[in-house]
Amino acid sequence: MSETKIPPVIRLKDLKKRFGIGDAENFALNGIDLTIKKGEFVAIMGPSGCGKTTLLNILGLLDQSIDGDYELDGQPVVSISKRRQARIRSRQIGFIFQNFNLVSRLNVIENVALPLIYKGITRTKRLIIASDILRNFHLNEREYYMPHQLSGGQIQRVAIARALVNEPSIILADEPTGNLDSRSSHVIMEELSDLHKRGNTIIMVTHNPRLTTYASRVITMTDGKIETDTKTTILKRKTSKAKHSPNPRHHNKRASKSRGNKK
Amino acid sequence: MRFLLINHVQNAHQSLKNSRIRSALTMLGIAIGVASVTTILALSGGASKIVSDQVNSLGGNIAVIRPGVTDQSMININSQIQPNHNYATSTLTENDILSIKDTPHIQAVAPIMVLSGSIKADSMAPIGSSIVASTPQLADISDLKLSQGQFLDDSVNQNTAVIGTQLSINVFGTELSLGKTITIRGQSFVIIGVLKTTNNPINYNSIDFDNAVIINFAYGKTLNQKVTQIQQINIKADSITNLSQIIIDINKSLLKNHAGEKDFSVLTGDQIAQPTSQLFYAIAGAMTTIAAVSLVVGGIGIMNIMLVTVAERTREIGIRKALGASNSDIMSQFLIESLSLSIGGGVIGYIIGYLLAFGTSTFLTFDPIINWQIAVVAIIISAVMGTLFGLYPAIRAARKDPIESLHQYD
Ligand SMILES: Nc1ncnc2c1ncn2[C@@H]1O[C@H](COP(=O)(O)OP(=O)(O)OP(=O)(O)O)[C@@H](O)[C@H]1O
Ligand SMILES: [Mg+2]
Repeated sequence: MSETKIPPVIRLKDLKKRFGIGDAENFALNGIDLTIKKGEFVAIMGPSGCGKTTLLNILGLLDQSIDGDYELDGQPVVSISKRRQARIRSRQIGFIFQNFNLVSRLNVIENVALPLIYKGITRTKRLIIASDILRNFHLNEREYYMPHQLSGGQIQRVAIARALVNEPSIILADEPTGNLDSRSSHVIMEELSDLHKRGNTIIMVTHNPRLTTYASRVITMTDGKIETDTKTTILKRKTSKAKHSPNPRHHNKRASKSRGNKK
Repeated sequence: MRFLLINHVQNAHQSLKNSRIRSALTMLGIAIGVASVTTILALSGGASKIVSDQVNSLGGNIAVIRPGVTDQSMININSQIQPNHNYATSTLTENDILSIKDTPHIQAVAPIMVLSGSIKADSMAPIGSSIVASTPQLADISDLKLSQGQFLDDSVNQNTAVIGTQLSINVFGTELSLGKTITIRGQSFVIIGVLKTTNNPINYNSIDFDNAVIINFAYGKTLNQKVTQIQQINIKADSITNLSQIIIDINKSLLKNHAGEKDFSVLTGDQIAQPTSQLFYAIAGAMTTIAAVSLVVGGIGIMNIMLVTVAERTREIGIRKALGASNSDIMSQFLIESLSLSIGGGVIGYIIGYLLAFGTSTFLTFDPIINWQIAVVAIIISAVMGTLFGLYPAIRAARKDPIESLHQYD
């Protein structure tokens, strides 16, 4: 009962994202209904180009031009001022980008300390905090390296350290283990899993089905729509699948839409 | 917020260090502009100071009455470019001199009339020598000392003159010209006194007494077709305490003489001490032009570099925004960077300006002035340039869309 009183962290209703106009118009997201509660670990899977990154950008308040409703902590994001949105990004959301996006002219520790700037933390403190978290990722010997002096996997770990340095309550990770071997991947996943256990909400895009075992909920997307969602009764999915398409990869749009409506 | 500011400054420092040559070149324009301004202010301040020191050394109980209304702002170069020597027609009259003489507590009055015309003896006097017609009390008020002979007084013949050392050398070939005859505007004068070298071309009389010949005021009028052309009237009070009352009285009586028209000004202290040398204004004018042009060019340079910087860092802007930077955070980051460029240039310019001023002053008779006001002016000018020309790039940076920015590869 108490759960219903607290609004869900994220609530999307018929969310659409359109790119281009006229003939070039296409929907990267085409009617997403999704509710994520505090403390969930959601893994999102789906083929390339199905709109996973677009969805994360919207969830992370980086993309404002959307159709449909998005409520963050029970508040419609359209009603939140730009300044407060920046504040939410600074204090609540941790971003791990698909292409890591380190600032090339800043060294490792400065990159990791970057989010702390906008929380108004002094330089000395910033460096101490950043140094601490880098140690967790076994990067303390690389603190003063520039991004171009790092390996792909190291860059990725720096990007993750940076996303976590602010102790965000919502972590948006776009393929955080893309460049890592399975052992390193599991180190990262343990870290995320740990954060999850401490009550944080994690939304992670991955192409690796094995990593979904860490998640409490798995969503698959195709063509800008949610195709399957382990939370909304596996049974329904199975029956609809049996009726229409035995192969979830080629699941048609009508099926996913009907499920979305039922929710 | 304060930490953020410190961080922006650190960030700006680092990014300027990363591109040293680019930053240095960008600073150059502002540096030249600020250097010119600093030189002008340091030299004009020095020139003013020398005059006010004179006025003070004369006891501080001096006042000067000049025709026309003088602009009293401290630095107003444009209003002063016209030479003080040749007023079309002076608004001061002999009647005014009489009124001033009648004012209580006046110790001495000396009207000064500068005449144009040739000065000749063994050889012609060079251009820049002046013929001054005044009264005996000039020696007292302006503290003129003689190396030989005597100053003009009421008992001596009208056809007598007192000559400055340098002019004496120029026309007679010697300082020892006592008793010799000099021809001024075709009239012969006997030299009755030679002034001690003052080496003080900048003074409140706007006359270089080393290069002047002084004749009797009344006779000067005769030479000038009986027209009095009074450039200024110097007065001396019997004590400093009475000076302010004297000024009030003179203002009143002259206003009455001039039928209520305030076409004169009574100046004391620092008001007198405005530099009047023509060469000085020529240099100052040129420097002001250089300053204005290089400030604008420098400002555009800053804008250009900042636009390039913003374009180069598009991705960084996207990342920063995603990590929680607000639009105003981004804006202040770039604004502070352009401010560091301009203020850096300003500081360099300030130093260069003083080097120039001290270099120039070796050819002049006074030293540049060093005070905090000039430093403040230099900082303000550069800060204004940095803000003015940094604003547009900073706004552009702040307005960038985070996702589009993230897609840019560097
Ligand atoms: N700025 C844009 N303009 C037009 N179309 C865009 C833009 N950004 C994304 N898209 C389109 O939106 C769709 C979804 O893109 P998105 O980046 O979300 O895919 P993704 O699921 O993250 O794929 P991947 O697994 O390869 O990262 C793609 O078809 C893409 O072409
Ligand atoms: Mg993607």
